Amino acid sequence: MGKTIECHFWNPELDLEKDLEFTYEDIGNNIELKKPVFTIVSLNKIIENLKQKRQEYLLKIDIPTILNVIEKVTNMWMDPDYKGRIIARDVLPTVTGFSLEMIESWGFDHFMSILRKDNLPLFGKLKPEEYKEFSELGDGLVKAYGEINVSHSNYDPTVIGHICAGNILGIAAFEMIIDKLIDAASWIKVPSEEPVFGALYAKSIEEVDPELAYSIAILPFEGGNKDVKEFLFSKSDIVRATGGEQARISLTELAGRHNIPIAGHWHKFSFITIAREYMDEERASQIAELVSLDVTAWDQQGCFSPQEIFVESGGEVDQLKFAELLADEMETTSIALPKGVNSGKMQVLDGYHQYLKKEMMGDPVKIFPSAIHQWLVIYDGTTENIEPSPLFRVIRVKPIEDIMKIPTLVKPIGQFLQTVGVAIPNKRLLPFADAISEVGATNIRTISSMTLQKPWEPWDGRFPLQELFELDNIRWVSISTKNIDEDIRASLERKRMIVNSKM
Amino acid sequence: MMRFPSDEWIQTFKDELNNNKVYEEVAKDWEGDFLFIITPDEELKEIVIFYVDLWHGKCRDAYLVKNGKTAAFTFKGPYSNWKKVIKKELDPIRGLIRGMFTVEGDSKVILDQTKAAQELVNTASQIPVEFEV
Repeated sequence: MGKTIECHFWNPELDLEKDLEFTYEDIGNNIELKKPVFTIVSLNKIIENLKQKRQEYLLKIDIPTILNVIEKVTNMWMDPDYKGRIIARDVLPTVTGFSLEMIESWGFDHFMSILRKDNLPLFGKLKPEEYKEFSELGDGLVKAYGEINVSHSNYDPTVIGHICAGNILGIAAFEMIIDKLIDAASWIKVPSEEPVFGALYAKSIEEVDPELAYSIAILPFEGGNKDVKEFLFSKSDIVRATGGEQARISLTELAGRHNIPIAGHWHKFSFITIAREYMDEERASQIAELVSLDVTAWDQQGCFSPQEIFVESGGEVDQLKFAELLADEMETTSIALPKGVNSGKMQVLDGYHQYLKKEMMGDPVKIFPSAIHQWLVIYDGTTENIEPSPLFRVIRVKPIEDIMKIPTLVKPIGQFLQTVGVAIPNKRLLPFADAISEVGATNIRTISSMTLQKPWEPWDGRFPLQELFELDNIRWVSISTKNIDEDIRASLERKRMIVNSKM
Repeated sequence: MMRFPSDEWIQTFKDELNNNKVYEEVAKDWEGDFLFIITPDEELKEIVIFYVDLWHGKCRDAYLVKNGKTAAFTFKGPYSNWKKVIKKELDPIRGLIRGMFTVEGDSKVILDQTKAAQELVNTASQIPVEFEV
């Protein structure tokens, strides 16, 4: 007898199970996913109950009560023996294709630890005029770009919808938490690729505070189900959505038809920049260690995952040697955080054959392959132009004469830029940050932490909590640290703790 | 009835707070003085600043600030939002999250003392006032 995992969550007092049909999907390893077949009648009951619970409970409790629930739930998930985490550990590698090590280490130990009450973004609305230069926020810096032009403002949203993309584990948890801090009931469409964690997390809230949990509904429906989407949009004050280009087009149109705002987070491009100062004999290998973690995390599936690495000329270690160092580190890091069943082997092989030809033709290209196609590092001196990676741990190292040339290079894709992982000394970081932000980048992070969003940081230029109240056209850019040189030292300790503990 | 904001109001607030046993209990660990800054809007013409010195469940001092004054914390917002707080229509912490107020000082300390903050609001709400029109 295998495991049946429920992918839905709502107030059980609704007693909808008797009226609904369910599908049971066998995903292998004796695991089947149970999903409801929604009817408009059932959805209407769910939404009305969400509103009722908001009115009767959520609006009447104080914020510290909510923060304490969040803290308790996070503590539960940080415990490796917590029953929800045990289920997740059993099921998520099969569901997501990520390895158990990736889910446990990068997912639970690191992502979940972000969701602590002391980390939550409770600083209210920032005034852009006070952030015309990079200024302190949290343990980093932020700067505001653009002029205020409010296209949406509602400081009392009743129901917020969320459509979560499937590439990163845990977004649903973040959405639930944020909504409760602003007194909104939530429906969350969990991704078809990973429909499990949202319901598990909601159930852990239910264990601590059932009434709070019943202001949340986890709805696993297919993205193509137009009737369900139409209905849910018609009942929402705002929808936050993550997804690719197709989702952007269809969901923006749907929101427009229902005259509701959409806070969209769409296809993005991220990359790494390494300054020559860090390419000395001692630190180049350390930088390779840190970069290997960014390339490995979530198998490069995140919008914040690097697709290229620019290494500045003039360091003691040249770019070709750095690519070799990175290959060594990719091997080590991939042993600690291996790929799962969704290995992207074809993408790795495609990358290999594409660059093998160039190498054989005498182009300035050198391939550093993994013996078992776990990863691929390519030194590519043929062009500085930015190119998308096949992902799945395929990364190109490109020489660049001066890092200040990069903003011009990436300007054509400015609207798609998101995270820039950096190893640039403090004295050169701000001029680079100013220039790269000017062309569209929104998050500048120390290498190795590209996939670890801090709760105070803006997301694609907007603060995750504030954008649910107001869309004002300001683009916020963050630098994840006030002192990158120190942060790189600390990141190295963290990276070694993660990797060495698995070796 | 007394006007809000006024020196008379803040003096009464201090007296009421010192008579409030619930506040004394929930704020027994609190150490820190505040500037409550009421910024002008359509209903208030000039900025008003109250200084309030809170110490272990008691209010040691409270007055309308005439000249420059600093404190461990400032809690600042427009008059219309202060009115909502005094009338208990707005939880100040929710107001903070929504950007209706701003705080200077360690906001985490305030968030850890929200029962005390609530009792401050309860005390303020019990003082009969007439607002600026």
